[in-house]
Amino acid sequence: MVAARTRLEIATANLANVSTDGFRKHVARGRLTASGVEVDPLVATAQGALRRTGRDFDFAIAGDGWFRVRDGSSIRPTRDGAFVRDRDGRLRDDAGRALQGRHGDLIVPAGASVDERGAVVVAGRVVDSIALPSASALRTGFLETANTDAVTEMVDVMAAQRSFESAEKVVATIDAASRKAAGDVAALK
Amino acid sequence: MNRALYAAATGMAAAQTNLDVISDNLANADVAGFKGATATFAEIGGAGGPGLGTVSLGEHIVFTQGKLMKSGGPFDVAIDGPGFFSLDDGRGGRAYSRDGSFSRCADGTLRNAQGWRLSGVRLSADALSASVSGDGSVSVTSPGGTRVVAHLRLAEFPAPERLRAIGNTLFAQTPQSGPARLVAPNEENGPRVRFGQLEQSNVSIVEAMMQILTAQRAYEANAKGVQAADEMLRIADNLSRG
Repeated sequence: MVAARTRLEIATANLANVSTDGFRKHVARGRLTASGVEVDPLVATAQGALRRTGRDFDFAIAGDGWFRVRDGSSIRPTRDGAFVRDRDGRLRDDAGRALQGRHGDLIVPAGASVDERGAVVVAGRVVDSIALPSASALRTGFLETANTDAVTEMVDVMAAQRSFESAEKVVATIDAASRKAAGDVAALK
Repeated sequence: MNRALYAAATGMAAAQTNLDVISDNLANADVAGFKGATATFAEIGGAGGPGLGTVSLGEHIVFTQGKLMKSGGPFDVAIDGPGFFSLDDGRGGRAYSRDGSFSRCADGTLRNAQGWRLSGVRLSADALSASVSGDGSVSVTSPGGTRVVAHLRLAEFPAPERLRAIGNTLFAQTPQSGPARLVAPNEENGPRVRFGQLEQSNVSIVEAMMQILTAQRAYEANAKGVQAADEMLRIADNLSRG
């Protein structure tokens, strides 16, 4: 029943994020232990679908890699590439975190463009770049959607509920059997 | 189960927020110069385990170019490229807009539907008709001939996406957007102005409808998650009663 609960927690957390761009879903992986089944959440790294937005500072990574954003003094990885350009050229997401380049905050000067390799180009000259693995490409004007969808997760929610119900039946049956056994022993006396 | 219950509830709230933004876009899909918005969300991470749901980060305006369409108005202008029309209300108020449907007033100014004046442009009293060329020069035709009376300047900002929407397709300057810089339209390397055309909203109705369906499904699915968590709590509760 604990395993079914964890499955439900994973499925609802995924479900809540179906509209979160760049979201990476967790998958439930069960393993048998001496005390029963345990479920561990693992992050699924499958690519999410790319959605066209047409904005200059919406980026999607096709392939591996992460955008690094600065939250105060800590750097966090994210796959969500929706940024808004500040007047000083910094690119910030809607939480105010600044996208990182090679040396600190990435600065995109006016009139600059960001190419497929993540390089910020001004008049043919590369001024900074978004670090990406060599096999990955940056798509400008696209966002990566969550790598899950409502239907898949809803099915998981229902499956978790059913397996919880089955486990409950088993517990109830065992409970009834031990109660009967206890009653029989008492009657024998 | 409580964790699942709350995670699903955040999902319902997010779908609702998303739906609000999309329906506002859709409602304004026919408004000239309207710029759609997009809501963004982030995952609430659980320490090591599954996440705790989602949180809305707010919304930002999408300033992509809308389609230019020929219109019947006598003084309709559209901007092809970046920039905004600079407007004033005659009392020191200033606003910026992409909506270029103006009409001529008795005092010679050109005003939009809300009464905001197109800054720096005044037509002479005897003008029979007016037109704007690609470089922004406004010329009027009067019984005496055709002459240039004003030059249209467009406002550009260091960070246009930080402008604040104040309704009626108007935007206000903010400290984050930086100050407006007036530029002359340029036929060669933009922004260009198109006389006799209007910029449509940048909202695609088909796309918005699709987004509404997706948001609705997300809402339903999350509601199902709430139900499932609730049902499991009930079962667990019954079990403990024996």
